[in-house]
Amino acid sequence: MRQIRAEIGAVAKADGSAVFEMGNTKVIAAVYGPREVQNRSQQMNDKALVRCEYSMANFSTGDRMRKPKGDRRSTEISLVIRQTMEACILTHLMPRSQIDIFVQVLQADGGTRSACINAATLALADAGIPLRDLVTSCSSGYLNSTPLLDLNYVEDSAGGPDVTVGFLPKLDKVTLLQMDSKLPIDIFENVMQLAIEGCKAVANYIREILLENTKQLEYRRGL
Amino acid sequence: MGLPDASGDLSSEVEVHAFRRLFPLRFYERHLSESIRPDGRPLGRARDTTIALGAVASADGSALAKIGSTTMLAAIKMEVMTPSMESPDEGCLAIDFHMPPICSPIVRPGRPAEAAPVVSKQLSDTISSSVMADLKELSLVSGKAAWMAYLDIYCLDADGALFDAALLSAVAALSHLQIPAVSLNEDGRVVVVSEEDEGKPEKEPVNREKRKLTLKSIPFSLTCILHKNYILADPTAEEESIMETLVTVVLDSSSQLISLYKPGGPVLANTSAIQDSIALTRQRVRELQKILDEANSGMEVD
Repeated sequence: MRQIRAEIGAVAKADGSAVFEMGNTKVIAAVYGPREVQNRSQQMNDKALVRCEYSMANFSTGDRMRKPKGDRRSTEISLVIRQTMEACILTHLMPRSQIDIFVQVLQADGGTRSACINAATLALADAGIPLRDLVTSCSSGYLNSTPLLDLNYVEDSAGGPDVTVGFLPKLDKVTLLQMDSKLPIDIFENVMQLAIEGCKAVANYIREILLENTKQLEYRRGL
Repeated sequence: MGLPDASGDLSSEVEVHAFRRLFPLRFYERHLSESIRPDGRPLGRARDTTIALGAVASADGSALAKIGSTTMLAAIKMEVMTPSMESPDEGCLAIDFHMPPICSPIVRPGRPAEAAPVVSKQLSDTISSSVMADLKELSLVSGKAAWMAYLDIYCLDADGALFDAALLSAVAALSHLQIPAVSLNEDGRVVVVSEEDEGKPEKEPVNREKRKLTLKSIPFSLTCILHKNYILADPTAEEESIMETLVTVVLDSSSQLISLYKPGGPVLANTSAIQDSIALTRQRVRELQKILDEANSGMEVD
């Protein structure tokens, strides 16, 4: 797995924010909420509305991107992140409100989906939004008869399968599972297990960061 | 009105916060009459500024500039293109300013911020009128190939003085820019020279090695707010929303005035107010020049 680095509270204006790096992939997430629903017609009386937007910076990939949002891939990833986070946010505690999750990719080198989910989890925790459990995510693949963990862009474009797993570590459940390309079922089991191990490692790291952050807050508050 | 004491008297702290939200103008005027602002700054002082060069490893030039909490990330990507007919030996610099929804609670997806195109236009006007970069340096083969530099600036946190931070990050990114080495191959197309190709004789290098743009007269700016007869330098977003009259002064490193921008506002500025703003800007230019030089020399040591 590549080197992970995370930082909480990068955006002062947001209720919660985090920067998450997995190797050369760098993602910044900001959470605004719970706040009043901006579009009254979408208001839900028994739960919170979760909205998510994923966009890539123009300079994030090798060649400059012309259309950072609104293209199919961005819309699909926005939907995936929204549904993943919606599963773990206790939305029934905040009826008639809205939680916005914005994710911006600053540098893309494979595994952007996973980095975004990890960053979103940290940002939600920083915002103090009640969660069922942390969602961590990691990708894995299978090249040259070897299962590989956390593919970067070069490995991803080599044409082998790419499995992305979103995992709830405490509850030991899988919430997101995406795979493309062909893979025989027995090898798939191995690859998925590998991704789950990766998710557990990320979860440990995220927990450390959150503990460190809480200690800092306690210290500053003078407790 | 003093600041709440740190021993945690929560009820008085809550009252101060409530007063700040309910009567913001009176809250600020109580501070201004003591010549201080709620974050402890004297009226003419700007917030702590930092520049980090090379923030985006995959871009040809990049910089992260922070003024207080306002954060701007600028990155430059170079592409080869054919120059236009009117200026065959000049390259092109395209500046684009984005305010993604992460930067502020008032920016919504689908409804871009009001400030974004304004700052974008101001930036491109200022940079082109300051003649900082000679576009002829961006030319490769006269009439056939030239560099197109795409400068993208992303606002990651919007806390007032957006134009100042954006200009600073743009200028820092341009000073960090390294134009890649390219050569002309047999088909007449320009290709990037990678380190392994050095021994090959067929490729005729157009640029021998990576080089930097020579920048003369670097522009720096300061935004001030005018309120009654106070001039506040470097406003935060809260100050900007309460007291709406802004004046932005852009000076270059030799203290020549490049641009002055006062987009209306309830307060009318007389000449002395403008001159005071220019004096504050002159001081700020010296600070910013020092910060930029330190950042640049820090990079060279590596």
